[in-house]
Amino acid sequence: MSKIILGVEGLTVYRENRAAVQDVSFCLEAGTDMAIIGPNGAGKSTLIQAILGILPRKTGSIKILGYALNQKGHFPAPVRDAIAYLPQNFWFDRHIPITVEELVGLGWERLGWQLPWSGYKARRLAVGQALAQVDGIHLKKQLISGLSGGETKRVLLAYCLVRPRRLLILDEAPAGLDGRGESDFYQLLEQLKREQNWAILQISHDLEMVRRQCDRVLCLNRTLRCQGVPEVALSPHNLAEAYGAEFVRYRHSHSPHKSW
Amino acid sequence: MAIQTELLRLVELFQFPFMQRAVIGGVLTGLMGGMLGSFTILRQLSFFSDALGHSALLGISIGLLLGLNPSVILLPFAVCFALGVTYLLERTQLWTDALLNIIYSSSLAIAIIALSFVGQYKGGINNLLFGDILAVQTLDLVFSGALLIICTLFIGLTLRTQMLLTLNEPLAIARGVSVSLHRTTFIVLLSLVVGVSIKAIGVLLVSAFVVIPACAARLLSRNFSSYVLISSGLGGLSAVLGMVLSASLNLPSGPSIVTIQLMIFLAALSWLRLSRFSKRTSAR
Repeated sequence: MSKIILGVEGLTVYRENRAAVQDVSFCLEAGTDMAIIGPNGAGKSTLIQAILGILPRKTGSIKILGYALNQKGHFPAPVRDAIAYLPQNFWFDRHIPITVEELVGLGWERLGWQLPWSGYKARRLAVGQALAQVDGIHLKKQLISGLSGGETKRVLLAYCLVRPRRLLILDEAPAGLDGRGESDFYQLLEQLKREQNWAILQISHDLEMVRRQCDRVLCLNRTLRCQGVPEVALSPHNLAEAYGAEFVRYRHSHSPHKSW
Repeated sequence: MAIQTELLRLVELFQFPFMQRAVIGGVLTGLMGGMLGSFTILRQLSFFSDALGHSALLGISIGLLLGLNPSVILLPFAVCFALGVTYLLERTQLWTDALLNIIYSSSLAIAIIALSFVGQYKGGINNLLFGDILAVQTLDLVFSGALLIICTLFIGLTLRTQMLLTLNEPLAIARGVSVSLHRTTFIVLLSLVVGVSIKAIGVLLVSAFVVIPACAARLLSRNFSSYVLISSGLGGLSAVLGMVLSASLNLPSGPSIVTIQLMIFLAALSWLRLSRFSKRTSAR
């Protein structure tokens, strides 16, 4: 039997005066890679941000590792340490003088009150291992201002991996990686899922990847249109539900893969 | 001979209690200014410290009108001002710089009108605008010392959280950091630092005091921890040198400190140019 990592029940989130996500319920088990698909403006990022407590929710409940997110967006610290989140278009001021080593080290940190040099050795070790995993050990001493888009993404992934987690939440993570970087990236996710039983929740526009890689799919278009294994959720009928009939006709006539 | 006399005069100058107070005050406020300044410029709060400085004149003039010691009213005023501005920024849809402009120009205007009613004010408006080395009293040193300890503890013990917050707020929230609490704490500390520094630097230049050492440190540093340390160090150094300059040439203290800071900044800039140039030539 699998353990439920994330449970969402009747979630509704408002942006401005409009429900961006309405009445969404699903649960995510350990060792499962779940994709959220849907057209632009369907509320995918909103859903993820509400789960993390970045956006306030209107109604519904969110439970991670059995702990409920309270109305103020608060989880106990051990739950926060078990979650890693990679935002979409991760925007930061490139003039901030921070090295790759320091940035990845922030992921390792427990972020409480502590002396700045505490855990120095353990942190250095963990940072080195995480950077090796994403093939970025040579970037260690570099300032983030000098990184390319793909390197930034790999460094951020190392930020997620630097401490053992239970849940990895990715908002269109591989954007900015080249072909090889992308396949390495998915291989790494697969490994984390199989060997360390991580649960992964990722937003994706790449339906081919979702079909190959993911175990579960949520089709979102403000409300949850369907959920299930990729074969079912990505059927033309269900895609029409999520994206509209036009989209499916377009995919049919243009896609080289006639797998639908 | 002339140099020796000058040096002798400088040494004698340091025998005066006012000079000792000024130098100690300079070290304390300079260190704090540099430390908080390093985060201030990255969080794009430079203009906020500018507005706070200008508006502090209103606090001082209210104090004078009520017949209170400006030191007593300045710090509570700065904190209230900072919290009020933060509240307004969060609640209105206006642009930050536009809103800050409204606030500081109107408080400056009201302050000048209020000051015109305080006819017998001894120090004169020049000292308020550009700083007065004689104004640093023992009470200010006690405030500065306590504040330096508080700032060092706060920044030191939450350094990683401050780094993450500076880098990306959603990422920090996802890690369970209470962003609004940290933001408010930082703003309050910054306003206190600006408040205690204002007498020596003056309301017009106090933001440079926070911004310039941090910018120079940015040019010189290769990682975040050294950036914060270098910024504090340059802040303290420039304040002391500025005080000495001010006392020995009888110049207003604020402009003296800012001039020293400018020189340090230019030195950092040329050092950066030189090291890049030598790297390029050695690569060939």
